[in-house]
Amino acid sequence: MNAVTDHAKSSRAGIQSENVLQRMWRQRADYLYVLPAIVVMLVVIAYPVYYTIELSFFKTPPGLQLRDKVFIGVDNYSAILSSEVFWRVTLNTVIWTLASTLIAFVLGFGAALALHRDFFGRGVLRAILIIPWVISAVAASYIWKWIYHSDFGIIGIVLVQLGIVDRPPNFIDSVGTVLPSLIVVNIWREFPFAMIMLMAGLQTVPDQLLRAAQVDGASAWQRFWHVTFPYLSGVSTVTILLLAVANFNSFIIPWIMTGGGPSNASHIWITHIYELAFGRQRWGVAAAYSVLLFIIVMTLGYFYVRALSGNERKENRA
Amino acid sequence: MTSISNNQAPRSRRRIDGWRWTGRIFLVLMLMYTALPMIWMLLTSIKSGFAAMQFPPQWWPSEPTLASYQKLLDPQNSVGQDFLRFFWNSLFVSVCTTVLAVFVAVPAAYAFSRFTFPGRQFLFFAVLLRNMFPAVIFLVPLFILMRVLGLVNTHGSLILTYLTFGLPLAIWLLKGFYDNIPIQLEQAARIDGATRFQAFLLIVMPLSVPGIIATAIYSFIGAWNEYIYAATFITKNEQLTLPVGIQRFFSENTTDFPGLMAASFMMSVPVVVLFLLLQRYFVRALTEGAVKH
Amino acid sequence: MAQVVLKDLIKTYGSVYAVNNVSLTVNDGEFVALVGPSGCGKTTTLNLVAGLIPITGGDIVIGDRVVNDLDPKDRDIAMVFQNYALYPQKSVYNNLAFPLQMRRLPKDEIDRKVRDAAKVLDMTHLLERKPRELSGGQQQRVALGRALVRDPAVFLMDEPLSNLDAKLRVQMRSEIKRFHQDLKATIIYVTHDQLEAVTMADKMAVMNGGFLQQYDTPAQVFAHPLNMFVASFIGSPAMSLVPLEASTANGMSVLTSAEGWALPLSPLNARKVAAAKSKKIVLGARHSTIKLHKSAQPGAIPAKVYTVEPTGDVTFVQAFLSGSLVNISVPPAVHVAPDEQVWLEFDQDRIHLFDGETEMALHAD
Repeated sequence: MNAVTDHAKSSRAGIQSENVLQRMWRQRADYLYVLPAIVVMLVVIAYPVYYTIELSFFKTPPGLQLRDKVFIGVDNYSAILSSEVFWRVTLNTVIWTLASTLIAFVLGFGAALALHRDFFGRGVLRAILIIPWVISAVAASYIWKWIYHSDFGIIGIVLVQLGIVDRPPNFIDSVGTVLPSLIVVNIWREFPFAMIMLMAGLQTVPDQLLRAAQVDGASAWQRFWHVTFPYLSGVSTVTILLLAVANFNSFIIPWIMTGGGPSNASHIWITHIYELAFGRQRWGVAAAYSVLLFIIVMTLGYFYVRALSGNERKENRA
Repeated sequence: MTSISNNQAPRSRRRIDGWRWTGRIFLVLMLMYTALPMIWMLLTSIKSGFAAMQFPPQWWPSEPTLASYQKLLDPQNSVGQDFLRFFWNSLFVSVCTTVLAVFVAVPAAYAFSRFTFPGRQFLFFAVLLRNMFPAVIFLVPLFILMRVLGLVNTHGSLILTYLTFGLPLAIWLLKGFYDNIPIQLEQAARIDGATRFQAFLLIVMPLSVPGIIATAIYSFIGAWNEYIYAATFITKNEQLTLPVGIQRFFSENTTDFPGLMAASFMMSVPVVVLFLLLQRYFVRALTEGAVKH
Repeated sequence: MAQVVLKDLIKTYGSVYAVNNVSLTVNDGEFVALVGPSGCGKTTTLNLVAGLIPITGGDIVIGDRVVNDLDPKDRDIAMVFQNYALYPQKSVYNNLAFPLQMRRLPKDEIDRKVRDAAKVLDMTHLLERKPRELSGGQQQRVALGRALVRDPAVFLMDEPLSNLDAKLRVQMRSEIKRFHQDLKATIIYVTHDQLEAVTMADKMAVMNGGFLQQYDTPAQVFAHPLNMFVASFIGSPAMSLVPLEASTANGMSVLTSAEGWALPLSPLNARKVAAAKSKKIVLGARHSTIKLHKSAQPGAIPAKVYTVEPTGDVTFVQAFLSGSLVNISVPPAVHVAPDEQVWLEFDQDRIHLFDGETEMALHAD
């Protein structure tokens, strides 16, 4: 045994440990598989990010004649932070993102749980519940715009006919109700995503564990809380993060339904930036807004990656 | 012992029944929330413009008519011509995006699943991070980039852009799929005389078909429904895709709600049909890829 | 068929040695089992021979070619995997045909070879089925057939029987042995089950911690384990190992226990102990070489029964001896109860002595 280990030590010294570059070179063929993805990503991500940051320090003339831009330092940023609209829009964004994400998640979770047990018509019901997620947000916006219509909207008419109100409410034309009304539309489109993710997650909960818990005398609620729920924590984190990012970045529903109005009550960051850039042609300010947004998103992204890599680690251990 | 279990059985059954009824009521409410707006869209689309704006409303149209659909699908009049052209443009862009996304995502996902080259982890998350960025950040610079590349007002600009937002999830989904295919299958193939690429092409690819289908659906739906880039990159009427085309058209005809509902319905049909046909692959891909423990 | 030579084979992952300087020669037509506990490097060694992972150092020679940098497909080998690795989307026929198709053989020749292999393995009726429609044993046979159809220089088998149930495993064991005898094939067979290795292989290579511990015929490995690891790994139940102290009493060489008793040694064993560097000696004995007495006997050592496992034709007794558990087999007629006091008698000609520090077997010289 001694002789053998001595021999091993001598051979260990004989092997040159490779450095990273040598490994990269030896495995250069492996990179070919990811190269197309990386190239596309570089062109369409790295360049725009760089460009946006640069532009945010310039005053830009309308029409994007970039030769005429003027360096103004952080003026764009200070202008944004001191404007009243900025705080209004930020508050809207927070409400919009939090409410949409949480309610969509809870509804999706509930639907996934209710659909987990087999019953007659489950497949059809599941398919119907998923449809809103599949159809275009533009179509969804028009459908709900019609439903919310101040004169002929079906909800208002029903409320009047039931005697709850005297006149059809102005869902999306009044400052107080516009944001909640849009959130209802957003949730309508998004809860199916949470539902699908959690349905998939539910299938990974081992039946044996549930049965063991049942034998141990756990009630339905206890089984859910002690077995199912811990199993879903990974999926739930990823789902909530994906929803939060999607909501933070949403554009179509507020843009098409209200265009941010009335009086900025339904403007969120993205629609506001879009209007600044393409409506008022204030490219520099819009770019500065984008950079701020970018910083917030990167912070969220940090947690997103951590949640995903947490899953990855679990996977590797299994 | 027997008396205890006799006492407990009915009580726990009652409790389970309670949960089950809560679930059923919840599902009925969710079904109404989901389906009623879609049903109202369909009912409105088969009314005349006059019937749609009556008070009290006609719950069921007294004179159902397919006039709105005829108008949209008739190549003789200008509305139909536009609609059909938008439809074709959307189809073209979506199909191209889907095919390219599969071609790019499959090898990338495979590499992320199988190889251990340095930087693999970093690249993987870099690709996923794309999901995080809002479209609007990219809008201006990409518009300028497309101008430089001469792609403004071409479908190429849309396809290139859509590729990047479809890719991250596609790669993620497929990677999970490849993780589940035992590496021994490829090893066996390589010993049986296949090169590494042949092992991938002949053995692994056919096994990952469900994942590829899921990827394809996701890319197609994403491309079909996209609005903001299309609205920015395309200004010529004949190049517009459906979401933007319909928005432009009806912002000029604000009161034709039956027409708008018919167009919304027509726009939804391809993706809904596609998804309903292939949804089991999608759910399976999510189960095996994204959320596997 | 061909011989396989491993010369100073090394595989590292970072600073971890998965395979550490392994050298061995598998002669033409020989059946060699690589055996050891999980993580000992046996499967890694096999994958290195197959070319599925690149080697860090050393040489692999198959036939007269150094194959270090060759692709698996160019090494003229066939492999049977633990999970069979049948292509799930292909029928049995196409699974068998795949290696031949990859070699671009003419269609009719492929067909002939596939049907021949199917006939040999008695699965002509299964050719159109998909792998998932087969039982475990049938899948195993298809995997074997896929290796067979190629007529390779060397067969590599990675725990091919470990996914089968006990009865089928015994049956397939004899089939593989038969297969080896008929084909005069060179086979390298990885298993963690020492019984498989002992019953099937011409030679066995016992591995642990990436090192080759001993490479010899099963009979030699069983009779003369080179170190304590091999002694305890080969044989079932395992060889009992009792750490003791060497000393002298009344001019005689003895092994003493902390419990107070002393075991006198035969002259040959005394010379072995004298050759040891340390005073710590480990006594090894297989269950069948220990006699159990129910009353005190001269030369027998007191022990306390821990468990009794009757198997029908023989009863296994575990007893505590100087803090170690000792396995003894007794005829079923002998009745002992747990906690009973017994006396154990060791056969001086058949005990093994190990140096307690180096763990190597002691030799008289």
